[in-house]
Amino acid sequence: MVYTIFLILSLALLCVLLRFVYIMPRARKPISAERRSTPKTFSLAVFLGSGGHTSEALTLLSALDFTRYSPRSYVYSQGDILSAKKAVGLELLKTAESSTHPVHGADSNPPYSLVCIPRARRVHQPLITTPVTAAHSLAFSLYYFALAPAFTGKPFADVLILNGPGTCCMLCLAVYFNKFFGLPAPRMIYVESFARVKRLSLSGKLLRPFVDRFIVQWPDLLNDGGRGECRGWLV
Amino acid sequence: MYAFVTVGSTRFDQLVQKALSDAVIDVLRAKGYSKIVVQCGNSEFDTKHFECKGETWVRRDDEDIQVWRFKPSLQKEYEQADLVISHAGSGTIIDVLRLRKPLIVIPNETLLDNHQEELASALAQLRYLKRSNVSELPKAIKSLQSSDLVPFPVFNGSRFREMLDEEMEYA
Repeated sequence: MVYTIFLILSLALLCVLLRFVYIMPRARKPISAERRSTPKTFSLAVFLGSGGHTSEALTLLSALDFTRYSPRSYVYSQGDILSAKKAVGLELLKTAESSTHPVHGADSNPPYSLVCIPRARRVHQPLITTPVTAAHSLAFSLYYFALAPAFTGKPFADVLILNGPGTCCMLCLAVYFNKFFGLPAPRMIYVESFARVKRLSLSGKLLRPFVDRFIVQWPDLLNDGGRGECRGWLV
Repeated sequence: MYAFVTVGSTRFDQLVQKALSDAVIDVLRAKGYSKIVVQCGNSEFDTKHFECKGETWVRRDDEDIQVWRFKPSLQKEYEQADLVISHAGSGTIIDVLRLRKPLIVIPNETLLDNHQEELASALAQLRYLKRSNVSELPKAIKSLQSSDLVPFPVFNGSRFREMLDEEMEYA
């Protein structure tokens, strides 16, 4: 009896592990022919981690062709109204720019949305209560990535841009939940902050193996031979 | 000319106090800076010589020396300033260098694990800014020559755009 249970558990664990190996990012993924032949738009989500994180994330977005990446979701932490305002500011700026040379095929859907999730950990919050707030944050992330799309039939995003801090790890976890169960999951791109010259941030270290692209802005950060790429300053 | 001192949202008593000291004010005056404004954030400073007018402390004997805590955006100050003296916040560094204003950065050495110090050192090595410390600030202002600094590159948005287009197989 004990032996049978042990065998079943081991098999289950093996299946889970194999599934994880299967869903981890790979060096080269197959290019879908359909995607190449028909130019389409991709929905984009970006996490605004407040302060310098928000400024850098919005600077990255400012250079994108918004007709390609539409609609856009700006995920901000609860209470961080400033980040939400800055996101609206960028949208207004881009609209003003594009109205001088109008964009074809404007549809009726709103081009962007603001999504609020609770913080995984507040500044100076004691470590012992962090699992509770982190779980709260994860629950919201799962709602947006897994549950809501099940009703609307629309995936949350095709690509997700992350640049820290802690709460963005919850978004990554939610994406892995989707991957694990074969639900539509966005590509994840992590961009380490311009301020990180010699040492990666904690969220950078944590997310490095899990994201599809890991981008740094100072080459010394890749001296350890780990994965990642550097094409100079991005902000 | 206008010298602007900023500590962002941090508390950096030593820098604020030093910026308001006779040593710094004398050397700024000698270099032709008549207006000196300090954005002190959450720092404490000696208000003895100052008169509080609304949100601003104005020095009693010289109303061109002013201190205030916060404004929603410091962009206007950066634009008007002829010299910026700052803590090592990366946001401030980028904003000021993009405007091609001379910048002296003073990392807050009392902070543990201050990774922003790394950025200040790296950019100082590339001569985009001057890095100093609190006690040597008067010397740093005195010796600052605009020819010592090289202009910061302009924002290049195409790099990230190309990476993303490539990742999404748009190219």
